[in-house]
Amino acid sequence: MSSFHLRTGNQMMAEGAIQAGCKFFAGYPITPASGIFKTMIDLLPSKGGIALSAPDEISAIAYCIGASMKGAKAMTATSGPGWALMIESVQYALMTETPLVVSLVQRLGPSTGGATQGAQGDVLLAEFATSGGYTLPMLCPTNARECYELTVLAFTWAELYRTPVILLSDKEVGMTAERVDYDSLPKFTSQDRPRLRQVAGGDGARQTMPGGTYFFRDPQEIPAFSPVGGEVKVTATGSAHDKRGKLQKNSPETIDVLLHLEEKLRWREQDLAVVDADLQEGAETLLVSYGVTSRAAKDAVQSLRRQGGKVSFLGIQSLFPVPKKKIADALRGINRVIVAEENMKGLYRSVIERYCGGNPVVGVNKVGSMITPREILSVIVQ
Amino acid sequence: MLNIQSYLNDQVKFPFCKGCGHNNVLRRLNESLVALQLGVNDVALVTDIGCIGLADNLFKDIHTVHTTHGRSTAFATGIALVDSVLDTRKLKTIVLIGDGGAMIGLQHLVHAAMLNVDVTVIVCNNFVYGMTGGQGSGLTPECFITATTPQGNIVPPVDLCEILKHSNAPWVGRTLATDQQFPSLLKEAIDFPGFAVLEVLELCTEFAVPDNELTGKKLAEIAARNRWQLGRIERNDDRRPYADRYREISGKDRSNGEEKGADAKSQRPVLLRNPLSIVLAGSAGERIQSSAALICQMALNVGLHVTQKNDNPVTQGSGFSLSELWFSPSPVGYTGIEEPDIIVVTSEDGFKEIRNQGWLTRLGPKSIVYLDDSIKTEFFDSRMKRIPFRTSFGPKGAALGALTFLADRKKIIEAERVFARVGQRYGQESEQLLKKGMETLSAMDGAS
Repeated sequence: MSSFHLRTGNQMMAEGAIQAGCKFFAGYPITPASGIFKTMIDLLPSKGGIALSAPDEISAIAYCIGASMKGAKAMTATSGPGWALMIESVQYALMTETPLVVSLVQRLGPSTGGATQGAQGDVLLAEFATSGGYTLPMLCPTNARECYELTVLAFTWAELYRTPVILLSDKEVGMTAERVDYDSLPKFTSQDRPRLRQVAGGDGARQTMPGGTYFFRDPQEIPAFSPVGGEVKVTATGSAHDKRGKLQKNSPETIDVLLHLEEKLRWREQDLAVVDADLQEGAETLLVSYGVTSRAAKDAVQSLRRQGGKVSFLGIQSLFPVPKKKIADALRGINRVIVAEENMKGLYRSVIERYCGGNPVVGVNKVGSMITPREILSVIVQ
Repeated sequence: MLNIQSYLNDQVKFPFCKGCGHNNVLRRLNESLVALQLGVNDVALVTDIGCIGLADNLFKDIHTVHTTHGRSTAFATGIALVDSVLDTRKLKTIVLIGDGGAMIGLQHLVHAAMLNVDVTVIVCNNFVYGMTGGQGSGLTPECFITATTPQGNIVPPVDLCEILKHSNAPWVGRTLATDQQFPSLLKEAIDFPGFAVLEVLELCTEFAVPDNELTGKKLAEIAARNRWQLGRIERNDDRRPYADRYREISGKDRSNGEEKGADAKSQRPVLLRNPLSIVLAGSAGERIQSSAALICQMALNVGLHVTQKNDNPVTQGSGFSLSELWFSPSPVGYTGIEEPDIIVVTSEDGFKEIRNQGWLTRLGPKSIVYLDDSIKTEFFDSRMKRIPFRTSFGPKGAALGALTFLADRKKIIEAERVFARVGQRYGQESEQLLKKGMETLSAMDGAS
């Protein structure tokens, strides 16, 4: 009980990044994500890192990817309009297996939409940003504390699996200040990307990358990293390539590389599942939610249980890969699933519907302001 | 001592058309590297999209990064920033980009020039997009015939070198691919310890040459006609690299003087029994949000949970300022306020916004609205109270005064604690103003 601070989700995301060992941040101002940028500008230089302003979002993310290729843990932050500009480079990071964390603090869209209004409308725009629909791991915090914890985790995933990772926040989580107990924050940092072990030749002769920059044996294996300018030649490319990084059209090896990009995450799917499960014996309704709406959902659950009702709750923090097993585990005895999210059509609902065991799946949806506990409750008791 | 004869693949075969300027560019690049004897781990070749972007696979041992269209300079900038600021500053980062890439990625060139990172950009300007069928670019000269300017180009081209020179690029040059000074210019550009751009005017034999009867000699005429200066255009050895300037400022701690976190001594039992919501509204510049933050932090210090959500016009410094606050003995879930317990308004701006946002339609039977007595309003009901916040605490102290008054009354935090904190943070005068204001309010009947 000795270190309570008033903090926004944005501030905690920046602090989480620093805790994770982030050494490079390039940003471009955009409400509601600017708080992350500002906190990084204030804190990162004195922690031995680089924080700088880019002239646009495309430059910001490209700087981060270049920095990461040079070996620095890197992050940028934006909102929907900026994300739209970054998509090309997110694909590049995925293709070049470059670790990267992108925080996407959602606001009301489409287009410039409402800069200071929250929304959960970017979840599929973010996830399906790649041609081919490759999995982009996505973590979604519900409060300031989780912003910190999940940012550390996002770096671990980005580093270990050499992939861009999305932190999906929103205006309400990002800009609302609340209590954070610093003493209880996890002290661990993120793990680092496995580097190619350097075997120095006796005459100082350099190593060539055994098997190439993107070498793997089994498709799920993560190629060992070597930085641009390191002791091992790097041949990086965003074009379809073989394991050596040579541009190829559709050689069998190139197709293997493309499949590997998905397989490395699919194979680890169960390790990448983070949920907040509050299942109740005898409940027949499962309420699923994420991000800011999880907070209202939990209030609704408490309120119903106080009245003697039964309901199970599954808050999903790792939206992608979809935590299928956790969802399946939560379905025991359930005959109806409700998915609450602040967008018009039930975007995430449309993705998880097929994993809900054939149960009817209904949505609680809204645009323009946060879904209230009352609105969720009214659907549960229907 | 290195003795590298060539940086190209053994028995390299260039994939370019016969007579294409790219053949020349890559041979000259190789010669420059040989002349400079750069270590193979000290060169990063970053290539763009287009024919020239095929170059990365032609080099043997240096590091290569093949990127997306127009963005090569930006990726190179990221590499160079880490190399020069965080690492040992040894890399020569060289970008190969065409005229199309330079135009779509102009912003990246401009910013790299502004930053002055050690990146050398070689712009291979053959006036067309060769890989996609010979379309015109932003660097295509007037009257030039391309796939997209079949009647001759009617849009004058940009002078890339001038743009970058005026973006404070410390090294700028332009040459013909066939010019004798090309090798020495290229070597100088790479060797230069900062941002350098060398535009190379060259022939695209497949698309530019046939329709425009282009020859090497004609390239010089095109340059002359467009008043494109050839040779070294700019060299400024006094411009310091970004890394040097960044290091000077980066050691300084910029964390601001925020409210201190709680320590054990300030703990006392939580007195607030139930969650309480307050909507505070006033005018921008009258310390609405900062006063709310101060009271919120003090509430944290005594063990409460709080949330603070701020709102103001997008222009920030004018009109209203508003904070939505929850104080609660237990964690706060949903952070919105459906039926406010208390609305407190310290100015006309604030009241206007309270009405605009529909707060008055959300009052419950137990809600209370505290209005500063300067606020004019036609509707008034029993849940509304008028309090002289502005006259008691002054315009800039009204928000803090109002919150102190409410926090004390609702057992969030004792007024005495706020006095002490305000004294500590803002000085005796502020503390006295707050104290006196509170005495005034306490003495009033209507306030209770």
